[in-house]
Parts: sequence; structure tokens; C-alpha cells
Amino acid sequence: MNVIRFFYLLGIAISLTLAWIFFPGPRTEAGARAPSTVKWVPSLDDTEEFCQFDHPEWRKAQTIEGVEIEEDPQCKPDNPYLVASVVKGTDRVTMPTLMKTRLAMDAVVKKDDRDGDGDPDVIHIKLEVAELNGSTPDGDFFIPGYRIAPGLTPGIWVFAPKMRGMATVDAVNLDANRMLRAPSPPIRVEQGDTVYLTLENSHYLPHTIHLHGVDHPYTRADGQGNDGVPVTSEKMLMPGQKRTYEIKPRQPGTMLYHCHVQTDKHMLMGLQGMFIVEENRPNNWLQTFNIGAGKVRHRSQANRKQFDQEYDLHYQSLDKERYQPIQAYNDPRLVAKGMNRDYNITDSNENFFLLNGEAFPYTLRDSLVVVEPEQRIRLRVANGHPHTLGLHFHGHKTTAISADGVPLDAPVTRDVHGLAPAQRLDLVLDTHDDGLHSFGEGAWLMHDHAEKSVTSDGLGPGGNIGLVVYRKYLDQNGFPKLQGMDPVPFFNRWFYQKQVPVWARSEEWAIFADAAPLPPNTIRVIISGVFLGLALGLLVALWRHWRKGQ
Amino acid sequence: MKRLQTCLWPILLLPMLAFGGHRMDMDSMVMNENPMTLPEGCQKIAGDQKITVHAGRKHAKKFPGVVFAYDQQSWDVDPCTRLTVHFVNDDDIRHQFMVHGLPEKTYPEGMFTIEVSGPGEETASFILPPYKKTYLVHCDIAQHTEHGMKAQIKVAGGDKDLASLPGLTKPVRPDRYPTVWNTQSVIFLVLALAGGLVLVWGGRWLFKAMSD
Repeated sequence: MNVIRFFYLLGIAISLTLAWIFFPGPRTEAGARAPSTVKWVPSLDDTEEFCQFDHPEWRKAQTIEGVEIEEDPQCKPDNPYLVASVVKGTDRVTMPTLMKTRLAMDAVVKKDDRDGDGDPDVIHIKLEVAELNGSTPDGDFFIPGYRIAPGLTPGIWVFAPKMRGMATVDAVNLDANRMLRAPSPPIRVEQGDTVYLTLENSHYLPHTIHLHGVDHPYTRADGQGNDGVPVTSEKMLMPGQKRTYEIKPRQPGTMLYHCHVQTDKHMLMGLQGMFIVEENRPNNWLQTFNIGAGKVRHRSQANRKQFDQEYDLHYQSLDKERYQPIQAYNDPRLVAKGMNRDYNITDSNENFFLLNGEAFPYTLRDSLVVVEPEQRIRLRVANGHPHTLGLHFHGHKTTAISADGVPLDAPVTRDVHGLAPAQRLDLVLDTHDDGLHSFGEGAWLMHDHAEKSVTSDGLGPGGNIGLVVYRKYLDQNGFPKLQGMDPVPFFNRWFYQKQVPVWARSEEWAIFADAAPLPPNTIRVIISGVFLGLALGLLVALWRHWRKGQ
Repeated sequence: MKRLQTCLWPILLLPMLAFGGHRMDMDSMVMNENPMTLPEGCQKIAGDQKITVHAGRKHAKKFPGVVFAYDQQSWDVDPCTRLTVHFVNDDDIRHQFMVHGLPEKTYPEGMFTIEVSGPGEETASFILPPYKKTYLVHCDIAQHTEHGMKAQIKVAGGDKDLASLPGLTKPVRPDRYPTVWNTQSVIFLVLALAGGLVLVWGGRWLFKAMSD
């Protein structure tokens, strides 16, 4: 009896093995003719317009409440009312102007012209901490929503100016409001100002601010820590608490501010911004915040004298594994464990690469460097990556005049400038067409030449690709006139999800599109099916045999 | 002249600080305050009710895994009541008492909001509609609702309970925690195992009994 059952079992095992061997694999050989091409037509519902912007009037040069605001012709310029508010002070602009921003009334308070040179010298700045694309217990979506490119919503933390009202656009649209975005905004103060920088920790984890490279005393006047380092200088600032850092910077230059709690996580999650100390000049009203970095629409007196334009360029990157806990959990204990113990930066790689808080193609909307011929433009560049940034300009060789806020004895003119992590360079972009500084007009690429940085999670073109665009290469909506690939697929939400072919938008390129999948090999299907049936039959026979034996 | 300008500035600004049910200063902001206009369907103000709501980190400490909370998560209010909210912020950061779902004819965007900029308090009133409904109350600062600052106002008993109210209702998308087997779990497993065996043998016995 047992021998018969053994042979039944042996037969079943052999049949299953042969069925598995002959079962069609995930790929199938074509015959004499390869399969046809799948045509991809981006759906309008899934494809954004190149330039979606509801305030084109913001682009022109204008004066608001006596504050001169330079033209910014690109698709999405900064809100000029916000620029005016942070130049004059949020407590000094009229209510109609302030109401056109989301700034709190005490976000930027300026007073006391102590040296009598026509500008305020005591500056109070308030920052909050915001999480973008965090999880919610109320459903499977992220809030407040923030896309770095079509369809891409990584988790990010930012320092943000103190706001009022909702974090989202409104009660229906749960995207972050316009002011709540990456990067943490560049802050500008004047050399010699007394600056009170208050961090109101509105986030659910502890944070601090370290003023990296900015002249600051180790302790405040009251003896409390002022360096932002939880181990040496002060306790971490817990949720719901606030702390004021006091500085009176004696040296001008391009510096940084960043959270110093678990820096491999917090700083690289986005809690890092540029901190610029401008030279002391008379009547020097500064644009305290430059939301989204990019063009500075109200420049310092020294800058206006020496240059034609000024831009802040902040490069940073994001790691999927690092931000995964804030999108997987709500409980801060699970987030803390996921980030502090499960995540290991030494085993990880960066996936998304941002210029001024966004990746290509969104960088074409508000991170262009728009130039005219024969200009000198100051570019303040910060490397927020954990890797060296090799900043390359097509069509230009820029000149580094200052590194980490210290003027260089011998300025260096190159087409690739290396910046170590956390390093800053002040570059001069000279658009005189002399074959060295500029090769002439165009829409020239500008990017980190560490090649992974021009991808979004490995898919290109993406990452921190930006452009230096000469004015005649800009269309009336502020979008660059492109002569290459059709940019429509880049604005499709499935493109960066890797769901559609990278090259597929013309008959000529159909050769690179997706091939239609093939049905499985018929003979393999039949043989595999026969052996599966045999195994099933033997199983039934075994069961009947076992029942008879009872 | 400069001193005169400095003195005049707040006086010139004052008329602009309060308009259309909105008021704002350095310390707080109220939007869509409405102590007088009856929402559609209310014939008169049915009565006055005053609540004091505290907000802050310390009110979350009784709920494990919650960071920010109000001191109460649900209030019952009669239809057409004029509700006066005395909102006390016990933290050093901003918090809001924001109500959603109100009739948009009376309340633009269907909202009533009190925001207190830091440690402090503010009071404002609004009139609730006549219908049986539950209104969302929350703080809309990034991730405050998600980390506990969420509550509800139930008019005439409300039409439901909202999800994710600390200590009251389950989240729509609950967190999943690590599993650890304790003695009770092992005992239950063993008992269930025995139960399964009993079911098999019982079934066999029943089958045999029916065959005989």
C-alpha cells in the first residue's frame, strides 16, 4: 500500500517539475518577425501645460509700497507683494499687500536705524518647520502635497518663513501653498545688523539651527547656546517650542543655515538654506527672504553697483530610503526609529536631485537664469548634496570670486566648478560674447556634471538640469524656446514613474518606443499544461486511494 | 517728522486690521467671525454657548504617538447656537481652531478660523447652521492635523464621528506596529490548534456516524 502511495507522490513531483520547466518565462522569443511597436500618445488629463501660472502680471518690473522690484520674465516669478513685504518688514507694509502673501505679521520685523544710514539695523526673523508630502492617518495621500516634477512627490522638510492661515492652497486643493516649498529660503541680512533669528518648531520632531559660516557667538547674551549643535551647544528644540539665535555678523558672504539634529537625516531632508550677509551700505533695504531661491528681485546696494542681476542657486538631493518613514508612518516613534536606526546613510544612494527645490522640467518654470548679452551676473551657489557638485555651464566659463564667503585672492575662470558638500561659491556669469566667458546667445544648459544628478531616480533628463537663457530665447510666457526633443512627455505624470518610453513622440523615433509584448510559446503552454493536468490527476487518484484504504 | 511718522503709522494701519469678519494683529487672526448673521434655515439665534479650547503639546501627552492636540476632541452644540470660542494656545508656536463645512453663503470657503500666533488667547463667535451635521475642527499648520490636532463639533448630535480623533475614533489608515508574541498569544494559538484537531476528529466521527 505504502509503495503505491510513494509512486503516486513521485509521479506528482515529476509532473510538477516538468510543468515548471516548460512553463513560459517572462520573456518570449519572436519568430521571423519582431512584434509591432506600441504607440504612446500622452493623455491630456495626465499632462501638464509647460507654464501653468495665474499671475503673469507678477513678471514685470514694478514698485510696491516704494519697494522697487526687478522684472523676472520667466514663467513663475516670485510674488512681488511678498518681496515688498520682506523688504519693508511684514509689520510695516499695508494690510492689502500683506494679505496677498501668506506671511505672518511678525515674520520679518525691521527697526532701529542705529547708524543713521537710512536702513533698519535690528532685524527679527521668524522661521517655522514644515513637512511636505508627509503621510496622513486620514487616507492614502500625502499632505501638504508638493511635486518636484510631474508625478514625483518625495518627502521633504523645509524651514519656512512664519506664515498665517492654511498650509494648503485651500480647503479643497491639498497641495502646499505657494510659499511652502523647497528649498528652505535664502535669508539676507546686512553686515553689522543685529539679527534675532527665531525658530518656532512647528514640526513633530526636534530641530535646531546652525549658522554655518556666519559670524556668530557660541552663546547668546544670556549664556544660552547659539551654535545649534545638540551635543555641545544646546538642547534640541522640541515640538511646540521656540528659540532665538542672536547674531551680529561682521563679515559679508554667502553662508548656510541648517538643522544640526541628526544632520545625515535632517539637513539632507531639506532643513538647509542659504544665509547671505550683504555688505553694509547706506539705504540698504534687503530682501530678507528669497522664496524658492533663484532671481533676487530686490538687490542690495553693493550688488546693484557691481552687477546687472543676482541669482541664488541651491543644489540638494533626496534619498528614497531616508524619507520613506515619513510617508509610511504617522506615529513619530515609528518615524524616529525608521530614520534614526533602520536607515543607514552609509548604505544608501541619493535618488532625486534638485535645483532650487525642484527637478527638471519644473526648473524651466522658475529656476532659469535669464540674461541679456553684455551683462555681469552674480550667482550665489550652495552645494547641499552629500556629494561633490561639479557645476558645469554650457556656452560659458564663469569666474569664481568668493568661496565660503571669503573673497578669492585669484579668481578662477572655469566651465566646471567643484563644490564640496556644504560649500558655497560666488560666481560671475559674464555674457560678453568673447569666446571665453560666453560663446554667444542661446538656451544653454547648466547642471551638476555628476551624471546621476541629471536624472530623477535614474531617469533622464531630470534632476538639477537648469538653463542660462538669453532673452531672445524666451517666449512670451517666460518658457524657453527649445529646439530639441518634444518636451510634452516630460510634463506627463507617468514619464518619471518610468511607465512610458523616454523616446516615442514621433514616427521617426518609434524604433525606440516599447515593443508590443508577445503571447507565450504555444508548445510550451501545451506541454506545461499537460504535466500540470497529470499532477492534478495523480493527486486526485492518491486521495481516492487513501480514502479506499480507510 | 520721523517721530511723528512712527506715531501715526499704527493709527493709519488700524482701520485696515479689521474688515469683513476678519481681524489680525501680531498675536492672532480671526477669519469669518459672525456673531450676528443667521445661516440659512435659522429663524433666530437659538442660544449662546461658550467653550474654552486649549491647544498644545501638553494636551497630546495622554495619547501615545500623538504630538499636538486640543484638550477636548468633540463638542455637542444645538442648532442655530451662537458659539463663542475662547481659544488658548499653550505652545510657543502657532495653532489654529479652524472649522470646515459651514454654509459658504455665510462663511466664505465654508470656514471659521481663530489662529493664535504663539502663547496667548483669542475669542471669536460664529453661528452654527440648523442641520444635523458633524463639522471638522483642526489646525491646518503642516502636519498638525495628522499628528493629533483634530476634533469635531456635532450639531444636533451630528451625522457621524470623524476618523482619527485622538482617543475617540480609529484612523482611516492606521499605523502598523511590530508584532511581539506574548504568553497570551501563545496560549490562544495552542487552544486554536487544539480546536482545529477537535474539528477534524469531530467531522470524521460525524461522517462515519452518517455513513453507518
